[in-house]
Amino acid sequence: MNQASSETKSRSTNWLLRILRYPRTQNLVIAILAVLMALVAISLVIVIIGKNPLTVFVSLLRGSGWLPKPRYASGRSMLTDFLGLLDALTPMIFAAIAVAIAFKAGLFNIGISGQMLTGGFLATVLIGYSQLDAVLAKPLVLLVGALSGAMLALFVGWLKANFNIHEVVSTIMLNYVVQYIVSFFIKGYFIEPVSRQSHTVSVASRLTLVNVQIGAVETRIPLCFLLAVGLAGVFYLILARTRLGYEIRAVGSNRQAAEYSGISSRRTIMLTMALSGAAAGLAGVTYYLGYYNSIMPGDLSSVGFDSIAVALLASANPLACVLSAMLITSLSYGSNYMSSVADVSEYIASLLIGIVLLFSACSGFLKYLVNRNNLAVDQSDDREEPGSTPATGGD
Amino acid sequence: MLNQVIIDGLAFALPLLVIAIGGIFSEHSGVTNLALEGLLGFGAFSGGLCFTILVQFIPFDSAVAFYVSFIAAALGGATFSLIHALLCIRLQANQVISGVVINIAAMALTGFLTAQLNQSFFSGSSNKFFLSTAPRYTLDLLSGLPILGGLVTNVYPFEIIALLLVVICWFLLYRTRFGLHLRACGDNPQSVDAAGLSVARIRLVAVMISGGLAGVGGICFAYSISTNVSPAIYFGAGFLAIAALIFGNWQIIPTLGACLIFGLARAASFQLVLLLEMDSSIFDLAMIVPYVLVLVLLVFFSKNNRAPKALGQVYDKGQS
Repeated sequence: MNQASSETKSRSTNWLLRILRYPRTQNLVIAILAVLMALVAISLVIVIIGKNPLTVFVSLLRGSGWLPKPRYASGRSMLTDFLGLLDALTPMIFAAIAVAIAFKAGLFNIGISGQMLTGGFLATVLIGYSQLDAVLAKPLVLLVGALSGAMLALFVGWLKANFNIHEVVSTIMLNYVVQYIVSFFIKGYFIEPVSRQSHTVSVASRLTLVNVQIGAVETRIPLCFLLAVGLAGVFYLILARTRLGYEIRAVGSNRQAAEYSGISSRRTIMLTMALSGAAAGLAGVTYYLGYYNSIMPGDLSSVGFDSIAVALLASANPLACVLSAMLITSLSYGSNYMSSVADVSEYIASLLIGIVLLFSACSGFLKYLVNRNNLAVDQSDDREEPGSTPATGGD
Repeated sequence: MLNQVIIDGLAFALPLLVIAIGGIFSEHSGVTNLALEGLLGFGAFSGGLCFTILVQFIPFDSAVAFYVSFIAAALGGATFSLIHALLCIRLQANQVISGVVINIAAMALTGFLTAQLNQSFFSGSSNKFFLSTAPRYTLDLLSGLPILGGLVTNVYPFEIIALLLVVICWFLLYRTRFGLHLRACGDNPQSVDAAGLSVARIRLVAVMISGGLAGVGGICFAYSISTNVSPAIYFGAGFLAIAALIFGNWQIIPTLGACLIFGLARAASFQLVLLLEMDSSIFDLAMIVPYVLVLVLLVFFSKNNRAPKALGQVYDKGQS
């Protein structure tokens, strides 16, 4: 008897459920939903502090080069802002895929900022201060960055595999250790007295070309942007198509089961961390020797933490990371202009990122709700996503 | 010199212990709590806000504001921990993800709120709440003694609060019916369910206790380290506390030992730099001592310790 009423009720929400249930795009739709809910929540906050949300969002988009600003200083245009955005985006993509690949193995690499700083600092000291030619210096910077990041992350993987030390604790500890050690060396040996930062690196070693004239417009060109997108593709292929990728996903979804099927989870954990650290090191060199050209002592970049948001939003899919990195970077890159034009604090942007994260952390529950009724109908479509629920065996 | 190490070491170790005990409560109930860092930050923020408001009304006596700010910090931390409880218990999110997310959200939220509130109400433009310097007490009778003297010299009032909290928490966890239920939730939630109790409710209370304790620890650090509440409150104390409780094998008394080691090592390395009259940049190297010590100790103690059995698992009634 009750069936008739529940049927009309379900028909009204049917279209939304159908979109949400479609397995191939489910993660994407849920991510978009999380962003939309966060936008609504932040709009409420903006209304409460007495500003117009629309002006705030428009100024965010203008600041990050998606919309034209009303006026530009001479020699600047929308292209300047947009290429600047791509320059900021490059390290973010590297950092996000670093989080993502570790995440697929059930590892939470939140030491990205420490690995970035290690790569950036070593590349600065070894190559950035040398007299090498650009042809030699730029690849070497990449190499040093990737290697040193990988070594540090490998150490974390080794601690995890052999001593069962939770990677969240060890990476955080190493973040502080690296931060203070680098700060010690910079303050002691490489400090620029006026700016209180490290000496700037040579132009030949820098991974971003600055002050490039395109027509009458002054721009900067991030040389490694395509490399970042390419590496995201490579990581995607590794995870989806190779034996190593299969092992990573197997260890991530159930470490014991993976062991029983003959996969060495210790080897996989260390390899994954090394890959993740290499990407984080590349993020470091494109950040400290690209987007910037010096290092501020005693400071960790926020890229390392925002990249966790990026990877979570992308459900740890390296290709989706490129898109969500675009979104999150646009928010933080535009926040400077937003705060000066719309007169709201820059913290609004980081708050927005935080709320996006909170909502995307609930995505597992949303998925569960949506799929619950679906299970009986067609179980075959309901595939498990190994990366979305990594097995973590306590601390 | 030695006394100074003990004075500074205790001032660091006791708040850390309070935070770590918060972690013990949450983890003994089966909820992994990596959110301690965010919870202590939000607690410190609530305490700082309360202090700033109270000082406006009762400017002549900041002692009242001082003590009330601790209650506010506990309430703030407990309230913010509701998000962790909601995500982990009700929404069945991955508990590690939830913890990391809450840390990031807390940093963003406290930064935003502090700047906004300062701008809107307290006519300041900084991102800090300024606190008064905490009073320090010395027991004159005993302060001349060699080692005991350090224990009773320049004691912050919150160290007494922390000690009281530790005793209360120890009693609550090991000597009461509630504590037994809580520990059962982390080892065998099915048995708690079979006894007719709600696993979800006990875990909720445990997570809130952990938020409250983390909040108190946070405001202690705000008073002792910087006398203001700023983003610098996120210096990793929450993660040090987690390391301490792992090192202490999820038991309160061994965790006390771990916290004392961290605190004394930190204070000793500072004093050593001062004593040898080294360059101030060496301070950066002295700063890494507690963090390196954590890693080294974990290498030796992580493998054989025994975490609560159901730690990190969503409770599912159907599971056997």
